[in-house]
Amino acid sequence: MPKIEVPENIFFSLLGKRMSDEELIDIFPVAKAELDGHDTENHVIKIELNDTNRPDLWSAAGVARALRCYETGEIPYYDFFSTKDDERPSEGRMVIDDESALGIRDYSIGFAARGKTVDNDLLVNLIQSQEKLCTNFGRKRKTIAMGIYRSDLIRYPVHYAAVDPDKTKFVPLGMTEELSLREICEKHPKGKEYGHIVSSFPRFPYLYDDNGDTLSFPPVINSARIGAVEIGDSDFFIEVSGPILDDLLLAVSILACDMSDMGFEILPVKCRFAKDTPYGREITVPYYFQKPMAASLDLVHQKLGEDLSGEECIEALKRMGVYSIVDDGMIYANVPEYRNDFLHGVDIVEDVMIGHGLGNFEPVMPSDFTIGRLSPVEEFSRKVKGILVGLGFQEMMYNYLGSKREYIDNMHVSGEDAVFIANPMSENYEVIRPSVLPCLLESESVSGHAVYPHSIFEIGKITVKDPEDNSGTRTIDSLGFFSSNAAIGYNDAASYINTLMYFLRKEYTLAEAGDDPRFIPGRAAVIMYNGERVGIFGETHPQVLESWGCSMPSIMAEIDLDKLMN
Amino acid sequence: MDIDVKNLHPLEVKLLRHVSAGEDITEGSIISGLGYKVGQCNQAFSWLSSKGCLEEVSRTKKTIYELTDTGRAMKEEGLPAERIYAFLKEKGPHAMPEIAEALSLEKSDVGSAFGLLSSKGALRLNEERKAEAAGELPEEIATQRSLLSRAAETGSLEESGLSDAEKKAIAPLSKKRGASSSPFRIQEREEVVYRLTDKGAEMRTAVINANITGEEFGVLTPQMIQTGSWKNGTFRPYGINAPTSRLIPGRRNAYSEYLQWVKDKLIALGFEEFDGPLVENEFWNGDALFMPQFHSARDIHDVYYVKDPVHAKKIDEPWLSQVAATHENGWHTGSRGWGYSFDHEFTRRQVLRSQGTVLSAHQLTKAHVPGKYFGVVRCFRYDQVDATHGADFYQTEGIVIGKDVNLRNLLGLLKMFAEEIAGAEEVKYVPGYFPFTEPSIEVHIKHPVLGWFELGGSGIFRPEVTEPLGIKEPVLAWGLGIDRMALMHLGLSDLRDLFTPDIESVRTRRGN
Repeated sequence: MPKIEVPENIFFSLLGKRMSDEELIDIFPVAKAELDGHDTENHVIKIELNDTNRPDLWSAAGVARALRCYETGEIPYYDFFSTKDDERPSEGRMVIDDESALGIRDYSIGFAARGKTVDNDLLVNLIQSQEKLCTNFGRKRKTIAMGIYRSDLIRYPVHYAAVDPDKTKFVPLGMTEELSLREICEKHPKGKEYGHIVSSFPRFPYLYDDNGDTLSFPPVINSARIGAVEIGDSDFFIEVSGPILDDLLLAVSILACDMSDMGFEILPVKCRFAKDTPYGREITVPYYFQKPMAASLDLVHQKLGEDLSGEECIEALKRMGVYSIVDDGMIYANVPEYRNDFLHGVDIVEDVMIGHGLGNFEPVMPSDFTIGRLSPVEEFSRKVKGILVGLGFQEMMYNYLGSKREYIDNMHVSGEDAVFIANPMSENYEVIRPSVLPCLLESESVSGHAVYPHSIFEIGKITVKDPEDNSGTRTIDSLGFFSSNAAIGYNDAASYINTLMYFLRKEYTLAEAGDDPRFIPGRAAVIMYNGERVGIFGETHPQVLESWGCSMPSIMAEIDLDKLMN
Repeated sequence: MDIDVKNLHPLEVKLLRHVSAGEDITEGSIISGLGYKVGQCNQAFSWLSSKGCLEEVSRTKKTIYELTDTGRAMKEEGLPAERIYAFLKEKGPHAMPEIAEALSLEKSDVGSAFGLLSSKGALRLNEERKAEAAGELPEEIATQRSLLSRAAETGSLEESGLSDAEKKAIAPLSKKRGASSSPFRIQEREEVVYRLTDKGAEMRTAVINANITGEEFGVLTPQMIQTGSWKNGTFRPYGINAPTSRLIPGRRNAYSEYLQWVKDKLIALGFEEFDGPLVENEFWNGDALFMPQFHSARDIHDVYYVKDPVHAKKIDEPWLSQVAATHENGWHTGSRGWGYSFDHEFTRRQVLRSQGTVLSAHQLTKAHVPGKYFGVVRCFRYDQVDATHGADFYQTEGIVIGKDVNLRNLLGLLKMFAEEIAGAEEVKYVPGYFPFTEPSIEVHIKHPVLGWFELGGSGIFRPEVTEPLGIKEPVLAWGLGIDRMALMHLGLSDLRDLFTPDIESVRTRRGN
């Protein structure tokens, strides 16, 4: 979940009033936000945002806008958006995308802003908004990278192209010497972090102005001159690059609305693409690209269980910043400029729900009659547990992930049927357990202080390879039990098995276990049921006990309950 | 003072009844008075002292001559010197070997007895070198004789009670240790003298008033029942607060019992349990839940991938085609879809189930309408393991399908969970966000112990989830975070402890 930290004064000035923590806690949920903390010493409010499909809410301005709308029911009007048929004047500001970047990172678009001198808090806040959009929404700059530049140093038009990474050089932000784009990928910290996004291509994206001065190497790093924004600056050019046009347009719209709310004047920029888009070859940005969304009143009634009138729906949506009309049982909603999360009519329904107030819906119980039922394996497991507890065993519960050392090496088995994880976080959790027995032995190895005998069991899942299955694996509901004591042996294990099977009404036979390194040769047996092998038991081999650091003789058994149940 | 005579052992009872206030109580007096063995006597002293009934008044070192088995035999048969003197006096002179054989004595004993007696002039050798009586038995022999007799009464003599002549006479008959062939064994012993304390005196009175004799029956034996002998007496009452011994029973795991309780609650509310394999594929783990394949929660750092086999063989139709079309353009669901090209290889990639909702999606393909389903299932999350994150953990999830289920039913359901399962005092609903539900609701509850916290997430499945899986009816989906309540129930604070391998800690753990 994205989290942001906002200076109090910026947040409350955007909100238009001050609020207590209690008031914030109460109102935040309408923006799916939570008060994550309030640092009263440094005057910083921490907010956690829960809607990962609403990047417009991941900034102080966005949260404040949502709360303002909700309280006043007034939808903000932003006059700087162009549409296909209604272009705002770009006054010579332009970005031209070259076809050399197609297939590498297709688009670069931008807008300009002026009229507000940034101080430290504002700059930090702006960079935070930029970071949230690029990291969370833009998947760590893969689909969205954003640069903020000093507009007064730029000579328009700005050019976006893919260039020779070895011949193109500039001084990157944070350094003093000129590096080639390839050198930046190798040497600059941002190059090491983000260079991989483009470094497999023969040419790298490059942004420069009409004088040939460098703006940036998207999505990696700005130049040290035009790309170095500082406290006291008031004229900016904001550029966004990436492969998915709608994501870029949305990111631009969000930032433009945020900056407008902060007091900037937004200046449109004409963008020329290197290929056809649903919006044509040339658009003026910020650009309103969303289509109206519709939902029937019936859908609202069906989902919410409340017969809200058209008027009530319109009012509710207004509080969510959504302008709508109702005609012939249909709600038609204008999607706000800064949102693109309406996929289906149900998304309108949710906004109606929040806008109407969740507290205004009376809970009622579902009235359908249904029969409660345990799964067959749960029922069977409970029987087995009852018998084992009666036999003096303590039920245990274990993690299902562990190390190769525990599950395989210590058991002296080959591990060829074990299912490994391709991307383990650590070698302590790299295999799904292929058996319950290593878990029981781990208990034995850490429980030397516990009074003997140690009689323990678990019923849980294990996973082994199985070429027959669609997944090539099989998850088994498995019973494992273990008992250690100074005098214990095969006959004890056989008696436990016999008792268990008697009360489960399972007729079984035994067969030689053969060469199983976990058991003492000649003191282990395989349990046969319905002509199939369902389990094994016997005396634990001292080599296994030694590997686990155990010195008490023990017996152990494991049974496939899925097979035994049938 | 609180006197509970039931806590007294018969040995203590009899001792208390036997003694009186101010009297010196010693091992000797008790052994001779009550016939206790030394061990019993020591037990009674120790128990009564620890109860504050006896106090030690003095402790003195004593030398004791203990009569051995040899000594007891000698007392019956006479001292060797006595017997030799009497034999010679009656039967006339005999050679040494003849004497030994006639009296069944060791030759060496005959020799030393003759040496003693001849030095005192009681015996002498005649010309034939045979022994014959010459004078009276010396005084020393008579002294030894009487020492033996006195010792036989109590089994021992105290050195302090002997005269100088007696001390001289007993010396040749005594050895310090290993002296089974000597009539006396010398023991250095401490004699402790006890007296009744005030409390002891009160206890004695209480015992007498309660009419307890110490002769009451202890353990009831099968013989007593068979013979009816139990009718001839009374049973000693036992101290009911005596410390108990630790038993180690076979037991269910407390966490597993809690999960079972949750399951039983859900069964009682009309839910049917589902279950499934740990290995899933991207299709069910994400695609079927309408999470776009580029969703940030589906990154390599959020899900565990299976190393081998990397891919499932196939995804069943028609689910695959319908879900893929829904992602691309909304299919027939009325959605505009995510607008990207669905990756048919990625969808088969195998992962460890990362959320319980996966099984709800599976259940949709086989669900009845109306239907209520749930699962308490193990999930895997790519997280650093710490007190609040496990590598694998249980999620409790479920769905409700019905022709007319809606938001208000969802709120009702959450309220019921909050009250029935969490024991909540107050319930609060807030809008939430999940990729697969719209609208989405979080339920927060005020718990009597934990205060306000988020009990779970829920919502109405998006049509993009239900329709491609063949369900036209609305589906309520919910998940409960019960681990926090489980920890509280078990008095734990670290999630890792739920799966501890430590036997002792599991044996002693109990729920609230």
